Amino acid sequence: MKKEINFVLNDSEVTIAVETHKRLIDILRGPLNLHGTREGCGEGECGACTVIVDSRAVNSCLYPAIEVEGKKVITIEGLLNRGNQLSAIQKAFVEKGGIQCGFCTPGMIMSTKALLDSNPNPTDEEIRNTLVGNLCRCTGYVQIIDSVKLAANTLKKSK
Amino acid sequence: MNKFNYFNPKSLKEIWELKEKYPDSWYIAGGTDLMVKIKNREIKPSTLISLRSIPELSVIKTEDVISIGSLTTITDLINHTKLASLFPILIQAAKMIGSPQIRNVATIGGNLCNCSPCADTALPLLVLEARAILTNSKGSREVPLNEFFLGPAKSCLNQTEILTQIHIDKSSSNFQSTFLKKGRVRMDLAIASVAVLLEMKEKTCLQARIAAGSVAPVPLRLYQVEELFQNSIITSEMIKEAQKIALNSISPITDVRSTDVYRREIIGVFIKQAIQELLG
Ligand SMILES: Cc1cc2nc3c(=O)[nH]c(=O)nc-3n(C[C@H](O)[C@H](O)[C@H](O)COP(=O)(O)OP(=O)(O)OC[C@H]3O[C@@H](n4cnc5c(N)ncnc54)[C@H](O)[C@@H]3O)c2cc1C
Ligand code: FES
Ligand code: FES
Repeated sequence: MKKEINFVLNDSEVTIAVETHKRLIDILRGPLNLHGTREGCGEGECGACTVIVDSRAVNSCLYPAIEVEGKKVITIEGLLNRGNQLSAIQKAFVEKGGIQCGFCTPGMIMSTKALLDSNPNPTDEEIRNTLVGNLCRCTGYVQIIDSVKLAANTLKKSK
Repeated sequence: MNKFNYFNPKSLKEIWELKEKYPDSWYIAGGTDLMVKIKNREIKPSTLISLRSIPELSVIKTEDVISIGSLTTITDLINHTKLASLFPILIQAAKMIGSPQIRNVATIGGNLCNCSPCADTALPLLVLEARAILTNSKGSREVPLNEFFLGPAKSCLNQTEILTQIHIDKSSSNFQSTFLKKGRVRMDLAIASVAVLLEMKEKTCLQARIAAGSVAPVPLRLYQVEELFQNSIITSEMIKEAQKIALNSISPITDVRSTDVYRREIIGVFIKQAIQELLG
């Protein structure tokens, strides 16, 4: 069974017919051709599939695609600034070594964005609590916490 | 994923019509338990009926009876300042659930209806003596939460009913209470957990309510332990006795998260810690 849904994806309106059993990650990586969002575990544990729906970070592997009807979705592709420039959070991850193999990175960055959008001055504890649902096998997390702190500082200065 | 139909009814009336048409369908709230079970092929529903598009199910009312809509997400529960001041134990437990991504979609109703012995909101709600409001096309009935859980993945909901609200008497906010949870890592289901509520009059405990998680087929009230403390000044001997009775009341299993032996150990320690914390 297919059903047509309308939603806003990275600031553009999208109308798409989706099979009713598809998850948000399936339509992002499938018909919408956005491969930045990753699927690791597919069961809510690793956070690689994190995207933002109506200002909140969610696991797109557990999110029925149909449920984004009328909502605003932001994926890692939506972070690029004009002229395909990396955003402050992305730059901070590159600069501080918060990115190694890169598999976890889109999810880490989306969780970071959701945090900094609502709390521009997070403590270390708040950063850790935000990222408990994002696993990384490479960095050991220290560089990731540093990246988030650098991103927070850069964003504050730019305001 | 197996293929399923998916409906987003906008009203309760539409739900009842769909349920009649698709009697084998499953209700879905946040889907954080259900989608995992579908993926792992534990269940193969042919139709899902979503409860997410019915605004009245996520309303929180704080009058003499506090009413929490079953579709309230864990994040919205945590952010509700009035609830936090009335029932801090509920918010304490809610904050320990999963990750932000999970809490942003997981609902309090789903946490209860999934009927896991480790459901984190179940223990505070048991000691607050919450009641579940169950509704279908024929009307609503009210069930004390300790009668709601029948076993793992088994509640007293019938085929068509949904949990619509959770009710708590405002008077339950007058007591001191606390929740302790042990997981393997920060984001984990409980290996074991304990909630304790004490009604104190100066040094005398008038009433104790104690619940334990992950140590029986359902989230469990420990009535025999509670009786011990009733109308008494709690001593360390009494706490030792309580630990013994608690161990006889529970029936933990060994699974991937922990052994039964360790679970017993934790329950004993948590009962002592919680009571000491509340007595100050
Ligand atoms: C990575 C991860 C970590 C987790 N960590 C925790 C944790 O720390 N603590 C914890 O307690 N849980 C945890 N969970 C489990 C889960 O997130 C919670 O139990 C959550 O509250 C379930 O709510 P939901 O809305 O997602 O339920 P759903 O998955 O939508 O539903 C669960 C079940 O209840 C039924 N149902 C739901 N709502 C209703 C209703 N209103 N009326 C009738 N039936 C209904 C559904 O048919 C289904 O059978 C975790 C899950 C994941 C994936
Ligand atoms: S792929 Fe969604 S949490 Fe792992
Ligand atoms: S950078 Fe490799 S998993 Fe995080």
